[in-house]
Amino acid sequence: MIVVLGLSHRTAPIEVREHAAMPGELLGEVLAELVAQPNVGEALIVSTCNRVEIVAAGRDSSVEVLPLVLDELEAVLLKRAPMVRNYLYRHAGNDAVVHLFRVASSLDSLVLGEPQILGQVKTGFEQAKQNGTVGSHLNRVVAHALRTAKRVRNETAIGQGQVSVPSVAIDLARQIFGELKGRRVALIGSGQMGESVAKLLGQAGAELVVLGRNSERVAALAIQMNAVPRDLASQLKQTLSEVDVVVTATSASGYVVDEDAVAQVRKQRKGRSLFFIDLAVPRDVDPRIGDIDNTFLYNVDDLSQIVAETLSSREVEGERAEAIVRDEASNHERALSAEQVTPTLVALRKQFSGVLVAELQKSLRTRLKHLADDDREALNVMLDSALNKAFHPLTRRLRTLASSERAQADSDLHLSVLAALFELDVHAQSRASLSPAALKSSNQPSLPEAAPLDPVASNDPNDSKKKVS
Amino acid sequence: MQTLAFIAFLLGIVSYTASATLFFADVARQSGASAIGGFGPKAFAVGTFAHATHLVLASFVTHTCPVESLPFALGLSALMTNIAYLLMRERAGITAMGVVVAPLALMFLLGEQFVGHGAPPGQSPSLLLALHVTTNVLGAGLFILAGVASAFYLIQEHRLKNKRRALSGRKLPPLDALDATQHRLLVIGFPLQTFGVVSGSFFLSTMATVGVSEFLSSALAFATWSITGGVLVTRATLGWRGRRAAVGSLLGVACVLLVLALYVFRAGAGA
Repeated sequence: MIVVLGLSHRTAPIEVREHAAMPGELLGEVLAELVAQPNVGEALIVSTCNRVEIVAAGRDSSVEVLPLVLDELEAVLLKRAPMVRNYLYRHAGNDAVVHLFRVASSLDSLVLGEPQILGQVKTGFEQAKQNGTVGSHLNRVVAHALRTAKRVRNETAIGQGQVSVPSVAIDLARQIFGELKGRRVALIGSGQMGESVAKLLGQAGAELVVLGRNSERVAALAIQMNAVPRDLASQLKQTLSEVDVVVTATSASGYVVDEDAVAQVRKQRKGRSLFFIDLAVPRDVDPRIGDIDNTFLYNVDDLSQIVAETLSSREVEGERAEAIVRDEASNHERALSAEQVTPTLVALRKQFSGVLVAELQKSLRTRLKHLADDDREALNVMLDSALNKAFHPLTRRLRTLASSERAQADSDLHLSVLAALFELDVHAQSRASLSPAALKSSNQPSLPEAAPLDPVASNDPNDSKKKVS
Repeated sequence: MQTLAFIAFLLGIVSYTASATLFFADVARQSGASAIGGFGPKAFAVGTFAHATHLVLASFVTHTCPVESLPFALGLSALMTNIAYLLMRERAGITAMGVVVAPLALMFLLGEQFVGHGAPPGQSPSLLLALHVTTNVLGAGLFILAGVASAFYLIQEHRLKNKRRALSGRKLPPLDALDATQHRLLVIGFPLQTFGVVSGSFFLSTMATVGVSEFLSSALAFATWSITGGVLVTRATLGWRGRRAAVGSLLGVACVLLVLALYVFRAGAGA
């Protein structure tokens, strides 16, 4: 069972979020403080510009401890940033799992479907692992969250399309020209958006030309963008005859590029495609240019409309993604339920094993004292094997009951009867599995190999056979 | 050998169907890169190989002279289209065109079964006739692929000009790639077509009587040649590329398809 405590763009304005932000150099210290709390067994922090969240598991795997864990996390967080008190949200148990899965799948992001959050969750997890604050619970739940996020990406179109004007413009240029390497791009004006688009085109391998009326400003911009400077008044037609993409972002009140200018260079262009990206308001490019063959014109409204369409289609995909998250969270809950039988089985096996080993030792000291070391070892293996065989049906049955929603009550009853009849200290067992030593030992080098603490995994009789032979 | 030919035929049908489905699934799929996308061209290559094997074996089984057999002409046209597509697709970035090319190949493979087998065994064609048929079917294959590229161009161009759901065509090839592909195919196919038209005119002049179907097919072949030549010349001199070239190319391909349809109809009527 895990908990999540945090604040995000949904609950807190940026002035509050910036107080709670945790820079990388502080993380180790905060994580250490968190796991030093009496009830906090494991912890990791996801800190981005839009959210700060602490995901934690208790030292005890019982549900009762979760509110205490949340209180302790809150106390640590408030000690560092008292002003966030009224902006925090708390999730526990399955709610926390669903929340984590939604966050990793980018369903809780400011821009639905943005890809960065998955990397940020991974980073938070890796940092916590490096600081030794991740154990079996977080290992398992984060691995499952990452799998869920990948499933959402693969099975829905939530990450499809571009959600910013510059990236839409680049995507359109690719649909017209394919590879942008070696293409020539003219930037007219020095608007911020225009520069962003031109920079992206430059990064894609295009050669840049900067045009403007103010030669000093043009020269400075050309140096900044590694472009060729040109005079707008005298070199516009020459530029139009050479380039493939024209990005305009001036503050001129009339058209900077009119239909005549494009018509006049058509012969020199020999029908090559020309793509205008007009980011200015009022518009820089005569809209009639869009009707000329092999000439494509998109203004800021057209690009914004595409962004809006993408966002709207992401909303629709978001519903499908939510269903996947619910499905995976339910799978996770079932797997966890099956795991809850482990402490009882371990305690029971330990008790039986203790009795058998004590009796064997007694016999080895008296009637069987003539046995050689090899024979003694064989007897130990045989006892172990017999115990595994005896426990196998019980383990299988209890896990099946625990993972079934309908038989959950039966499973709980069986576990409590076993604990009562054999006077088992199940909580001691689960505490032992979450001790700092156990935590360290359960820290695996990478996610796929991260195995849960499962002391009864060897109950398969086939394993025992191998040992005996 | 008959069994082998039948197996190759079945393998061709299965592979073409599978590749058409995979191409369609890949284009229709909205989310990012898909694993299935890579299998479409592979299945298509298998289908092309099976198709070629079937064509050769069937020719032996029926003791039909290939160049006088209509199924051979249809099959070779389809194979030319397929091979040109497979050779160009990766470099030109036109893989998505498989969504049309694969069903077209399947249609040709199935269509071959429903047309007559031409000349009876024992008759050997002259070298000129063999060259005439071969250049015509090879040219037709290249023109068909050029037509597919042109159709894709017009769809993409319409989408980009209208600005509605402009980014939904992300899986289709870029406009410039389609334009360049269409142009290259016409440049390669035009000399073949020229030889076909010239040799066809020679055969026509040696015939005692010219039937309606011969006259029509010659006229259509000449129309194809003229349109294609016009597209190439106006592109070089006036810079007519893109939409105009695509429309011209489609008109030329329509004439090619009409010639093939005429042959099929004539074979059906004669059977």
